[in-house]
Amino acid sequence: MPVALFILNTGRSLSQGMYMESEGKWSENYFKTVVAVEMNPNDIKRLGVKDRVKIARNGSSLVALVKPSDRVPEGAIFIPMGPVANFIIDGDTDGVGIPSFKAIEVEAGPAEEPVATLRDILKSLGAKNLDVDALMKDISVQSGEKRVVESVSCPFCGDLCDYLKIEVDGSKIVRNVGGCAVSIAKFLNYHKHRVLEPYVRRGGSLTKVDLDTAIEEAAKILANARYALIYGLSNTCVEAIELAVELAEILRGVVDNTSTVCHGPTVLAIQEVGTVAMTFAPVLHLADVVVFWGSNAREAHANHVSRLVMAMGRFRKGRKDRKLVVVDSRKTMLADMADIFIQVEPGKDLELATALRMALRDLEIESPSVAGVPREKIYELAELMKTARYGALFFGMGVTHTGAKLRNIQAVIKLVQELNEWTKWVLLPMRGHYNVTGANQVSLWLTGYPYAVDFSRGFPRMIPGVTTAVDLLANGDVDAALIIASDPAAHFPRKAVEHLSKIPVIVIDAKWSLTAAFADVIIPAGLVGIECEGTAYRMDGVPIYMKKVVNPPPGVLCDVELLKRLTEKVKSMKGWGE
Amino acid sequence: MTQIIIKNGFVVDPLNNIKGEVMDIAIKNGKIVDVKEVDESRATVIDAKGRLVMAGGIDIHSHIAGSKVNIGRLMRPEDHYLTNIPHKLPYKRAETGLTVPNVFRIGYEYARMGFTLVAEPATPPIKTRHTHHELNSIPIIDKMAFVLVDSNWLALDLIKERKKDLLAAYYAWLLKATKTYALKIVDPGSDAAWVMKGLGLDIDDQIPEYGFTPRELIKAVGEAAQVLNIPHKIHVHCNRLGYPGNYATTLKTMALAKDITRIGEGLAMHITHVQFTGYKGDSWATLESGGEDIAKELNANPYTSLDLGQVILDRPATTMTADAPFEFVLYHLTRWKWSNSDTEVDAAAGIVPYRYRSKSYVNTIQWAIGLEVALLTKDPWRVFITTDHPNAGPFMDYPKVFAWLVSKKAREDMLKKVNQRALRKCALPAIDKEYTLYDLAIMTRASPAKLLGIEKFKGHLGIGADADVAIYDINPREVDISKDYEKAVKAFRRAWLVIKSGDIVVREGEVVKTVYGKTLYIDPEIPTDLEKELSKVLEAKFKELYTVTLENFVIKEHEIAKPMRIPVKTHLK
Repeated sequence: MPVALFILNTGRSLSQGMYMESEGKWSENYFKTVVAVEMNPNDIKRLGVKDRVKIARNGSSLVALVKPSDRVPEGAIFIPMGPVANFIIDGDTDGVGIPSFKAIEVEAGPAEEPVATLRDILKSLGAKNLDVDALMKDISVQSGEKRVVESVSCPFCGDLCDYLKIEVDGSKIVRNVGGCAVSIAKFLNYHKHRVLEPYVRRGGSLTKVDLDTAIEEAAKILANARYALIYGLSNTCVEAIELAVELAEILRGVVDNTSTVCHGPTVLAIQEVGTVAMTFAPVLHLADVVVFWGSNAREAHANHVSRLVMAMGRFRKGRKDRKLVVVDSRKTMLADMADIFIQVEPGKDLELATALRMALRDLEIESPSVAGVPREKIYELAELMKTARYGALFFGMGVTHTGAKLRNIQAVIKLVQELNEWTKWVLLPMRGHYNVTGANQVSLWLTGYPYAVDFSRGFPRMIPGVTTAVDLLANGDVDAALIIASDPAAHFPRKAVEHLSKIPVIVIDAKWSLTAAFADVIIPAGLVGIECEGTAYRMDGVPIYMKKVVNPPPGVLCDVELLKRLTEKVKSMKGWGE
Repeated sequence: MTQIIIKNGFVVDPLNNIKGEVMDIAIKNGKIVDVKEVDESRATVIDAKGRLVMAGGIDIHSHIAGSKVNIGRLMRPEDHYLTNIPHKLPYKRAETGLTVPNVFRIGYEYARMGFTLVAEPATPPIKTRHTHHELNSIPIIDKMAFVLVDSNWLALDLIKERKKDLLAAYYAWLLKATKTYALKIVDPGSDAAWVMKGLGLDIDDQIPEYGFTPRELIKAVGEAAQVLNIPHKIHVHCNRLGYPGNYATTLKTMALAKDITRIGEGLAMHITHVQFTGYKGDSWATLESGGEDIAKELNANPYTSLDLGQVILDRPATTMTADAPFEFVLYHLTRWKWSNSDTEVDAAAGIVPYRYRSKSYVNTIQWAIGLEVALLTKDPWRVFITTDHPNAGPFMDYPKVFAWLVSKKAREDMLKKVNQRALRKCALPAIDKEYTLYDLAIMTRASPAKLLGIEKFKGHLGIGADADVAIYDINPREVDISKDYEKAVKAFRRAWLVIKSGDIVVREGEVVKTVYGKTLYIDPEIPTDLEKELSKVLEAKFKELYTVTLENFVIKEHEIAKPMRIPVKTHLK
């Protein structure tokens, strides 16, 4: 069998996002999108791959379907983030809390074996509940009074578009004007695949219980834990996050949010050097050069480009007044729109940023190319940046997940700080979940730290690589977990997910996540931003109070109320009843 | 609601002209009441014999909440490593941080010092919801926020179009929409220049794209505040802050208060953290104190007040200000960490960690300026003690400032430790003045309440006032604070007992209960016709300028944990 070395990158794809929001993570279609890898046609031919490829690393392997794509350079493989990719992601975080999700060296070759099913994968991870199909229900929506709700905020990505017009017919959401494809999928399918009843695992299977019983059970698990993990929070409102932090403090446990596996390195870099940020409006009105670095905004933040690159500002008349630069290892859909596309070798972002900083200062770059980019192109880009009137750089997982992680970001921030010696430049991380920024903010004002906050000594500490969720799970440090508004089983490396099979797990969610497969208690919640009100912080730190457009299903409470009740219960178990 | 009687304490209460007399203070339903109204057999009796009783302290300028404070926390993890106090549940949450502490430490530390109301002096409109989230989470104290209005494109448009009434109506709307208390001007016009061109401005420079000067801008805001009849008029951080020679700009700005068309009595302009804008000399090497000149102008100009921004030496500071161009300059001096934020079309901000060193020539001059201004001012009612927390020092160090003001000996002991070359350029060593405890009560209780227009219910211990009381373990008849200033520092650092709205929250210097205070905001009324005209302007401008919808920009009352709305009758027609 011919086997060759490849560089594997994981990332978000539009179809994965859409299926996740429309049909759910347990659906056939979602699984199909996350089990399909993209390879360069030349590599496919060279290896004699038919339709399946086996990818192996450090003794773990997976079999995936192959999609030929010339967006991927030769020698690289792209796989959408999800349960399949995580099978070969290492639980080791190099002491910074985030696994290497990109630029991973793997061996790949034609596969003999069939592609695994979702259930095979979950089973091999030690999942407790595999038969959730029967429990997965749709809310029975009915036509009725027709309403249009204006200025609705979209609870999907960090752009938090707050200008949606949502048309409602009774309890049906029939139209979403202004939202992107994922937003439309999210609103129009809000009623599908819902958790509608509380469950407790009894005698090896999930048993329907009433809410009080489920909360009592959850409180017992938490109160009895020696070191509990509360994780997630980026898909709920700040009012709920505040309660989650308080609960962690009461338990002397850990509270972590999803930035631990996305922009955690960005935070660590800001701790070292600061940042030069902005809210959206200055970009809209002033930016004449916009750079996207390691961010495929067109698929992950679909409205971002239309809002800030295409749109008219006071001093910039839309797209024609702006230069669009894309730096990425893959020729993404966003790269198709760019005036300048810089294809960086996977994992070499630090080298490129350093070369750009050298070019800024007119230092000589000795090597004819850096990170796969010809020297002349680097000088050209540096000149363009230096002569911009107002430059904005948006960066994504392509920079945080690869190679030097926080050192990449540090170099990119330094680049932007130095550009301010010549002109105005700003940068912003492209935050994924609609309120991951809010999760960081709440954590900061309550504890002084943005994520991975440990209370084991009765005061807050943050130790990346120790108190970060992936490390706590992969090292087997925690003995109970409360997962709220997040799905670590879909996004954490295998070793971390396996630990969830060994400890009691509570899941609070509106939809059936893959983590529900590991749950001992499941508590249904309303969808924040659709059924529940609350505040979220846009990726640029602008807080927006989100409306609701329909009521939560009967008997289902919002995260805030659930966490209040859970906290009260835990307090009374500690004898602090108020 | 509990009833409390504080017996036999020495009461100092300038608003009621009480100067240390021994008397009893009675509390019922969160208010100060006549002693006869409290049933002693059912009341908690506190024996304050030999102790000093004052109203709760009020801090008019301390950066305690909002986006820039949180960025400070984010970029300064080292600020929290050695400052932790474990929680004591269910009474007290965990505390951490010094210059950028978590919300719990902020509330608890103010309470421990006997302060019960604090103003966050700079919130960018678009991020004020964030400011309120943090204010909501700060325990014990009452709070308020001042909204930034100087580099707001919408307001600048209206000034350029000379639409005076609309401008005033817009500010009235903005105060209500952001649930804030006063109009704040920071380095007037400079954030607009910074966001557009990367520049800062002096008072007579042109604002880019607008063609008028910061001077005209300050006047326009000052007059709008007069028309709106808002309790605290304008709160001004002068142009050229942080540059040698800037005292001249400060004097020009203060003089401008006389040009503002005033309606009614009272102060027209408050100049904040004047130490940072009190520099004489034309470079850092030739820096001198402008403290004397500023105090002279204050004494001669009855329409202005100012606060110190007193430097604390040899303690960490985190500079954070909406003066973004200045922070960029400071970053070049410190060469460590720099955060900047260009905030929509409203404002901008910068954050840079700093440390003032006693051996430094420049830092010693800076330290002296604040004290010179305070000591050379004739009217203690128009000078306020601040450290512009955390810019010149942490608010926890206020007791040190108190000591320098009440004790020449305290100053002399400090003078031995600082840069001697710098002292030769300062008036401070020759100043003999010592303030009294009564003066301190004016500067930290009575006059802040008056400045903020809340003297009816805050800042004193008369009947009907909020029951915010601080009792300090110091006997003014036995201790000579001029000599034994360390005893005063100790007493003011940890109050013996503190009552907030009728709840005992601190006993013997330690927090015993976590309660939450109110957020005060003003609601100036706008005549209906003008409001209609304004809403058309707002709709069009929001569509053009902002990246959030007008509807989502407005902060609803339910988003404030404990709102206290103060309606204001305006002179708008």
